[in-house]
Amino acid sequence: MTDTADTSLLTTASGKPPFYRDTTIIKWIVQVFTLVVVIFALYFLSKQAGDNLKARDINTGFDFLSVNPSFAISDGIDTAPNTGGRALWVGMVNTIRMSLAGILAATILGILVGVSRLSNNWIVAKVASAFIEYMRNIPLLVHILLIFFTLGQLGDFGKEINEVTGKLEQGPINGWIHISNKGLSVPRIHISDGFYQWAVFLIIGAIVGRWVMNKRTAARDGTGAETYPVLSFLGVLALFGFIGWFLHPFFGWLGDAIFGPISRLIPNIPQIAVQLALTALALVMASLWIQRFLTSRRTPAGLARLTDDDWFRMIFAGAAAVIAGVVFLVIWPGLSSWIINSSRDFFEVATDKFGDGRGNWREDWPIDAARPDISKRGNFANPGPAGLNFSQGFAAVFFGVVLYTSAFIAEIVRGGILAVPKGQTEAAQAVGLKRSTMLRLVVLPQAFRVSLPPLGNQYLNLTKNTSLAIAVGYSDVVQIGQTIFNQTGRSLEVFAIWMLFYVACSLAISAVVNFFNVRLLIVER
Amino acid sequence: MTNTDATVAINEELGSRDDMIVCDGVDKWYGDFQALKDVSATIKEREVVVVLGPSGSGKSTWIRCINRLEQHQNGRIIVDGIELTNDTRNVEKIRSEVGMVFQGFNLFPHLTVRDNITLAPLWVRKKPRGEVEQLATDLLERVGIPEQADKFPGQLSGGQQQRVAIARALAMEPRIMLFDEPTSALDPEMIKEVLDVMKELARSGMTMMVVTHEMGFAREVADRIIFMESGEIVEVGTPEHFFTNPTEDRTKLFLSQIL
Repeated sequence: MTDTADTSLLTTASGKPPFYRDTTIIKWIVQVFTLVVVIFALYFLSKQAGDNLKARDINTGFDFLSVNPSFAISDGIDTAPNTGGRALWVGMVNTIRMSLAGILAATILGILVGVSRLSNNWIVAKVASAFIEYMRNIPLLVHILLIFFTLGQLGDFGKEINEVTGKLEQGPINGWIHISNKGLSVPRIHISDGFYQWAVFLIIGAIVGRWVMNKRTAARDGTGAETYPVLSFLGVLALFGFIGWFLHPFFGWLGDAIFGPISRLIPNIPQIAVQLALTALALVMASLWIQRFLTSRRTPAGLARLTDDDWFRMIFAGAAAVIAGVVFLVIWPGLSSWIINSSRDFFEVATDKFGDGRGNWREDWPIDAARPDISKRGNFANPGPAGLNFSQGFAAVFFGVVLYTSAFIAEIVRGGILAVPKGQTEAAQAVGLKRSTMLRLVVLPQAFRVSLPPLGNQYLNLTKNTSLAIAVGYSDVVQIGQTIFNQTGRSLEVFAIWMLFYVACSLAISAVVNFFNVRLLIVER
Repeated sequence: MTNTDATVAINEELGSRDDMIVCDGVDKWYGDFQALKDVSATIKEREVVVVLGPSGSGKSTWIRCINRLEQHQNGRIIVDGIELTNDTRNVEKIRSEVGMVFQGFNLFPHLTVRDNITLAPLWVRKKPRGEVEQLATDLLERVGIPEQADKFPGQLSGGQQQRVAIARALAMEPRIMLFDEPTSALDPEMIKEVLDVMKELARSGMTMMVVTHEMGFAREVADRIIFMESGEIVEVGTPEHFFTNPTEDRTKLFLSQIL
């Protein structure tokens, strides 16, 4: 039979194939070609942009980050920032604050609505369905504008001066909650400066309590006698909390002894040191990654033969580190001054919060419930012990994204619960678990595992959707960035900062979600 | 129903024992379809009853009614002296007295084998963990897989999973065990290991109600066999009576098809 077979296959199988059929060579050619095209495209676009900007006499660069922007910000940690970088930082903090609060509120509301929709109670289930349909079938921008204008239509009632006493009236519910065209005012747990000293007591209490709990768990497992380990933990924590409540100024020295020196040291760090440190960090991380990658390719018999793809990965990791180093060292020195300034800010705040034996031994409790101060509405920078005053814009964006996202989260939660096989609830019932215990220990852990990846997507959406704040003038990073580029004309630079900021936020959220996702994976085989 | 002498004898012997499960005129409909028709039977303490019948004859529905996984519409079910009513306390009490093993194992996939077994004693019986862990170790020893305690259900074979499910039910120290086709989802070589555990359980004096297609098991272990068809109990008798000398035509037809 062999003499009639096609012999060309046999002859090439023994020797080397021609280069246009060799997969190794084909792979390298395609990869190198792609890399060249990408680099050329980037070069071409940036050259074009640079030429056009030059022709129109537009300056480029990140110098605006260290120049006083001379505009005021309505909401935020600093309403009169002294540099452009700080102004953007205020916006970033606003975005982060909005996103974190929104994620928390949307998750709680979403779980409630999702479980309600599965309820056997007809009215509860229908109300939940109606809420979901209303929320998810109308664009988010419409929701935000609707809330914004509804709040604006409210009068500024409750602010009258009482004719008899001459004092400001507190409004309905004795001033605890107040809705008006100046925004939404709610009470909050006021954290006074003493709180941070009290927190030191709580941390020590938690460590000691944990030690006691481990001891008692071991004793219970050894003898079988009930020793209430969790109650012991809570008891120790409560004891430390109680003592610290009265003795918290004891830890006032921490501010001047530790945080003060650090905050005074930071401005003396030369910029070039931060740049070199960042560059070194990039190179170290790349080499660590490559090392770890090589370890993962190691077999008991020694290093496995590396494929072409493995080489591409290692080369690209090294190239990325080198490019990052160039960015840190040459293109953007403003970054290092920003890092120095913001970390100094952080330690200054810490010093200030711990104070110097601060606080009256009797009057300044660590935490306190505080009514909103309605004479200062419309201002998020709440001075003194008072409740939260959300500005109209904050309230509109916050409730817009929370209500909108919670509708989607509700559907994800419902799907997750329905995805748990019926046999699981039957088995749980058959061993006699109560409904609430069954939900907590059997159904929700499995539903959560299914829901987590889509839940992470909703968190990303919520974070990105907060950028709609620009429609109602809330000072998030986009709104402040736009003000800056209107003033300075540095649109490309501002866009770069926006994109990097949102990418960083998204990656951080994904990292957290993935962490839990890996931990929740069900082990099979 | 005419009983042979052997059936009369065993009924006399059983008569002296306590009633564990009493069903009296139980009816169950799914919409227009009647799944159980006037089912009445009494199962005594330490008795092993095997329920046979073609698919769709209502065997599983009946056994699931006994711990309220399905709700019957007419008649009474009394388990260990407690009647199944809408009173949730009665239902909870009965469920903690009755262990159940399912065709599809229904182990909790997110918990280890040990945690599957300790979950109910910890949360329902509120026993201390040290004692429950010891119980789990003993039960895994009893079903022959002590070395698998820290694995997850997905890492075990079907036969091992079903034995864990039996250990999980036994951890509540039930007075009655219900088996709903426990070997139907298993490969032939795994069926034996599960049946061996069930035989050991029967010899230890557990009251058992078993829905199965394993005729060998029914012949060897059962005290009585209940044959059902179309939601009705057709014939009740000892294995000897049932396999050698059935009285009803429908029973004869069934046996001629499977033997």
